[in-house]
Amino acid sequence: MTVGEIMREDFPILQRKINGYPLVYLDNAATTQKPASVINAMNDYYANSNANVHRAVHTLAGEATEGYESCRTALKERFNTDKAIITSGTTEAINLVAHAWGRANLSDGDAIILTEMEHHSDIVPWQMLAQEKNIELRYVPVMEDLTLDMELFESAIEGAKLVCVVHISNVLGVCNPIEEIVSIANKHGAKVLLDAAQSAPHQDIDFKSIGVDFMAFSAHKMCGPTGIGALLVADDAFEEMQPFMGGGDMIETVSIHGSTYQTNEQKFEAGTPRIAEAIGWTEALNWLSSINIVAEHKRILESARWLASKLRAMGMNVYGRHDDHDAAVVSFLHPTMNSEDLAHLLDARGFAVRTGHHCAQPLLDRLQITGTLRVSLYFYNTQEEVESFIEYFSEILERFA
Amino acid sequence: MTYSSELSELIEEFKEIDDKMERLEMVFDLADEVNLLPPQEWSEATRVVGCQSEAHVRVEVINACVNLESGADSKLVQGLMGILTLAIHGTEVAEALKLTPDFATEMGVLNTLSPSRSNGFRNMFDKVMREIEQIQGD
Repeated sequence: MTVGEIMREDFPILQRKINGYPLVYLDNAATTQKPASVINAMNDYYANSNANVHRAVHTLAGEATEGYESCRTALKERFNTDKAIITSGTTEAINLVAHAWGRANLSDGDAIILTEMEHHSDIVPWQMLAQEKNIELRYVPVMEDLTLDMELFESAIEGAKLVCVVHISNVLGVCNPIEEIVSIANKHGAKVLLDAAQSAPHQDIDFKSIGVDFMAFSAHKMCGPTGIGALLVADDAFEEMQPFMGGGDMIETVSIHGSTYQTNEQKFEAGTPRIAEAIGWTEALNWLSSINIVAEHKRILESARWLASKLRAMGMNVYGRHDDHDAAVVSFLHPTMNSEDLAHLLDARGFAVRTGHHCAQPLLDRLQITGTLRVSLYFYNTQEEVESFIEYFSEILERFA
Repeated sequence: MTYSSELSELIEEFKEIDDKMERLEMVFDLADEVNLLPPQEWSEATRVVGCQSEAHVRVEVINACVNLESGADSKLVQGLMGILTLAIHGTEVAEALKLTPDFATEMGVLNTLSPSRSNGFRNMFDKVMREIEQIQGD
């Protein structure tokens, strides 16, 4: 058995048949499947340990608190960070930076740097803040070779207070030069927010080494549950953040005259947190730690390269370059056939792919297209699956194109 | 309700097909059944709102019968338009207005599609019916 095939046994859903055919799940940039250990841990929590966290002294509350906090510990260990705020996902994490840091530290006339490659989640919160505080948004263009125009970035950063950049594009799979971006930002005193939604599941990232001030990502794209993610924050940036949502758990004391707040990450985690999800995520992180992520990434990237070359040879317009640090994502268009039609036909034989704008409309505007058909691989995918995709895709073209 | 013999035949044909691929192939083939509304005649007035593809319909009543022209950038959507064409094009207005989208459910064609596509079909059906009613009321 190949490495991918061995892993597949951990994922119950991969045994499923769709329309009588084995599921070939190629929509991993949208969300990944969950190993049995994640599902079992969440079930076990609800069956045996369900309670609210932190304040109560009874046994169940202790188990729930330990389970929830073990997720934070696992995040800190995996990503080498001192501060890990648990959020509902990447989107909430970015919104948290906008509200908790942006509102307190940005004012009329300040500038934020974004790129044309950003996901809507890393554009819209800044547009909202810009409107509220009269902040200028400057966008770094994407060049013909699908990389960021670093010359323009250097000239745009003059006077900017924050750079918001996606690590790996969810449409193109292109990995941006974060070390270079951080180095330029540091020279100009700008903070950096990294959207790591697509990179955290595929790379070993050392938060302190990479040098960004904020890093946002989601559990569900790395075999964890939906509805949970994290914002990693550098110590000095953490001190500059003001509480955003008020309520239970984030306070130290409350009186009718006012409140004092927690000083740790809980300051930004108002309300009952996502306890079962945190327990599930810990298991997902354990699962990821059990595999050689570097070797596996290399393997699926090779499959993506093979797929891209086959699709190009079949006359498809492929958007991506698949360099060593890029993601195993292949976005493409048929010259005439509608992508959604193709996705329906692929689904008829169990192939799950995604079509549409992938929540990155400014990037698609730049590429002068309205959407792509996207195949995205994860560690449980095999070369055989990719080959079966090409085989069936050829059949579709013969019958329908 | 009772359907025209052509529509009844189509419903039976669809019911007999188990394989999703074959069903999709049949919908694709039905794309040729539309009275094509060419892209240069597409406008905001002809657009089917809520359809993920560019889908356009133009409804007229000629000699008390429905005249339906349609076109889409997706062959699958245009196939659905072909089904609607077979269901109502050329029928008397009173008969056409009796039709509900249930015929497509009965065919099993909506189960073959993603929820967004089947909603798109309902939006298209509603727009056509609304326009027939408007013309009728004028």
